[in-house]
Amino acid sequence: MAFYADKDYTQDETVLEAANQVMAGNLSLHWYDANTEKIKGKPSDLRRGLTYQDLDIGSYGYSAIPEHVRTSQSMVARGSEKWGKLPDMGYVVNRKSDIWSDNVADLYEEDKARRWAPAVDVPWSDLDAHPLTAEVEAACAQLYTFLQECALISLDFPSRWVPLVNQDFIEQKSWMCAQMLDWARLNEGFRKRALYGGAGLKRACATAEQGLKEWSYAETFPQGSVSINLSLGGFMLALCRHVAAFAPSKVDHALMGYAIQDTARQTSYGLGQLRYFLKHRPGEIEAMQEYIDETEHTMLALLGSPELLEPLIIISGGGLEKDQIRAGRIATSKFIRLVTHEYFERLEAAGLEGRSKRSRIPGIIDRIEVPA
Amino acid sequence: MAYLSTRNFIEDKDFVDKWLYTMRTGELDLSWMKAATEKVKPHEANPRRGLTYRDLDIGSYGFTDIPEKVRSNRSYAPRGAEVPEGAPDAQPWVSRKSEVWAFNTESYYEEAVTRQWNVTTDIPWERLDGVEMPETIGKALSQLMTFLTEVEMIATDTPAMWLPRLSPDFIEVKAFIASQAMDEARHTEAFRKRALTTGWGLMKASPMNEMALKHLRDADSFSEMSVALHLVGEGNVLTLFRFSEYLSPTDVDKRIFRLVMQDEARHVGYGMQHFKYVLEHFPEKREVLHAHLDEAENISFAGAAATELTESFIILAGGGLKKENIDEGIKVTTRFQLKQMEEHFERLEKCGMPERKERSKLYQMFEMGKAAAEMAGIKLN
Repeated sequence: MAFYADKDYTQDETVLEAANQVMAGNLSLHWYDANTEKIKGKPSDLRRGLTYQDLDIGSYGYSAIPEHVRTSQSMVARGSEKWGKLPDMGYVVNRKSDIWSDNVADLYEEDKARRWAPAVDVPWSDLDAHPLTAEVEAACAQLYTFLQECALISLDFPSRWVPLVNQDFIEQKSWMCAQMLDWARLNEGFRKRALYGGAGLKRACATAEQGLKEWSYAETFPQGSVSINLSLGGFMLALCRHVAAFAPSKVDHALMGYAIQDTARQTSYGLGQLRYFLKHRPGEIEAMQEYIDETEHTMLALLGSPELLEPLIIISGGGLEKDQIRAGRIATSKFIRLVTHEYFERLEAAGLEGRSKRSRIPGIIDRIEVPA
Repeated sequence: MAYLSTRNFIEDKDFVDKWLYTMRTGELDLSWMKAATEKVKPHEANPRRGLTYRDLDIGSYGFTDIPEKVRSNRSYAPRGAEVPEGAPDAQPWVSRKSEVWAFNTESYYEEAVTRQWNVTTDIPWERLDGVEMPETIGKALSQLMTFLTEVEMIATDTPAMWLPRLSPDFIEVKAFIASQAMDEARHTEAFRKRALTTGWGLMKASPMNEMALKHLRDADSFSEMSVALHLVGEGNVLTLFRFSEYLSPTDVDKRIFRLVMQDEARHVGYGMQHFKYVLEHFPEKREVLHAHLDEAENISFAGAAATELTESFIILAGGGLKKENIDEGIKVTTRFQLKQMEEHFERLEKCGMPERKERSKLYQMFEMGKAAAEMAGIKLN
C-alpha cells in the first residue's frame, strides 16, 4: 500500500481523548474564529442561477489564483484556513498558465446546463422505420467504430491529469471532470448507434490509434491539451458537423447535434488554454512550435486512415455507385481542407504565428485532387 | 514519458500516396466491410427507458461475455471490433473483470447520466436572500461545508486516477467512473457555493481527515480503492448527508443534501455490488480486502476525532451553543456516529463479509459506543 495515515488513530490516546472531550460537551471551538474572508455571494442574474463567476470574489475567486501555487499541496479548499499537518497530494500541475483558460468557468457552467442522455435523447427507433442501405449502414458502423476510438482516448486524457492538478484550480478540475462525462457519453452514443444499425462494429484503426496514443502521452499538460483538446477536439468538431450535414438518418443527425456541442466546448477550452499559456509564457512559444512539428503527423493519421476516409466518402456521397463515390470524394476533400484550415486558424489565433507556413501538412493537403 | 507512434505519417510515403490515390481515383479498399465481427440487432427492451447499455448486452459486444482475464484486446479498439495488426498497447493495469466489475454497473451509469443535476440552477439560491442565521449556526454550517468541500475533491481525484488504467474493454465501468468524477465535482461546487453564501465564507481545514483520506487515493488495486472509497468513505458520507439533511437550517440546505444523497447512494451501490462481485469471483482477494479495511477503517476514527467537524455538527444538531443545545447536539451526534458504523458493517455483511465484525477494531468501538450510549439513554434506532 502506497500511503498510510500518519497515525493509527485507534491506538492514539490523544486522538481518543480529543473525541471524548468533545462528546462530553467540552468543545474547543478552535475553528469558530477562522481567519478567512467573510463574504455572502449572490447570483448576479437570477435566471442563470449562482455561477462560479458570481463567486469570483477576493481570496475565494479564481482571478486571485497566482501564477505559482506554492502554498497549497493538500485537499484544502481555496480560501479556507490551513492549519496543522496537512498531507502533500503530490500535485505536479501547480502553475496557472499550465492549465488555465479564461473561459474555463463558463465552459463548466455550460457543460452542466447542456446535459443530455444518449439512451433517451436520440430517436433510435427511427432507424427501424427508415433503415439505411446495407452499404451506408456498414459505412456508419465503420465511422462509429472509429469515433469510439477517438472518444476513448479523449476520455482517458483528462482522467489521467485530474489527480495531478493542484486542488486550488477547482473550476479547472471540475471542467475536466465534466469533460470525462462528456466523452463517456459520446462513446456511449457512438457505440449504441453502431450496434443499433445492425451491422455491428467494424475494424479498429491502427494508424489513428498510433497517432492518438502519441498525442495522449504528451509530457506536459499544455502539450497534451494542444493535441487532445485543440487538435483532436477541433477534428472531431469538424467531423461531427460534416456528418450532421450529410446525415443519412434522423438518428445520426440528432447524435451529431449533441456531439457538436460537446466537442465545441472541448475545442474552445483547448484554444483558450493554449492562448493563456503562450500569453503568460512567451518564452515557450518556440518549444510549443517544435512539439507540434514533431507530433502533428497524427492529424494526417486521422484524416488519411482508410477506416475513416472510406466510410466518410460513402456517407457523404450516399452510397457506392460511381457518381456517389465522386460526390463523396468532393465533399470529403472539402472536409479535409476545412479541418486543416480551422486547425491552423486556431493555432495562429492562440499565438503560434506562422504555424501554417511552418507546417508540412499544407504541402500534402494541396496535393489532394478529385478530377472532374 | 512521451510515446512515439511507430510511424511518422507525414514522412510515410506509402501512407500518404495511398490516401492521395484514394482521393484521386475513388478506388476504395473496403476491406473494413469484411471485418470479422458479429452482426447484431439490439432493440429497446423498454421504450420509456430508451436504448440502454443492457440492451446491447449481446454476443461479443455484451458485458456478460467479457472473460475474467481480458487477453485479446489491449488497444483502444472498442469491445467487439476487429483489432488490426499494429494497434498500440493502451497499457491498462487492470485487465481482470472481477477487479472492477459490479453487478448492474451499466444501470448505475445510465442512472447517473439521466440524473445529472445542476448546482447553479437546481438549488433555489434566491431563497437565501434575506435569510439571516444566528452567528453560531451560520459558522457551524460554514465549517461543515468547508469540510465537505475539502473531502469531495479527493473523491474526484481517486476515480479519475484509475479510469485510464482500466482495460478499454470495461467500457461500462469506465463510463460509470467518469460519471462519478463529475458527480463529485458537482458536490464540491454545491458545498463551496453554499459556504460562500452564508456570510461567513469558508472556515478551517480538517488536517486529520485529510491525512486519513489520502489513503483512499493510494491503493494498490482497484478493488482496494473501491472498498475504501465507495464503501468506507462514501458510506460514511452518505450517513453524514442523511443526518445533515435532517439538521439543515434552511430549505436550500435540505435541497442540497437531498440531491447529493442520490448521487452518493449510487456510488455506494456500485461499491457494494463490486465488493460482492469480487468476493464471489476472486475469493483469494478476501484477505487482501480485509487487510485494506483494517487501514481504511482508520478513516472513521479520524472522522470522529476531527473536532472541527464534530463540534460544528453538534452545534447544528442542537441548534446553538447553550448547554441544553450542546446536550441535545451530542445525543444526535452520538446517534449519527453509531449509525455510520452500524451501516458500514451492515453493508459488509450484505456483500458477503459477515466475519468482518470479529476482526475489526472499529466494530469493537461501535459496541462500546453503543453500550455507553444506551447507558446514557441514547437509543440508536
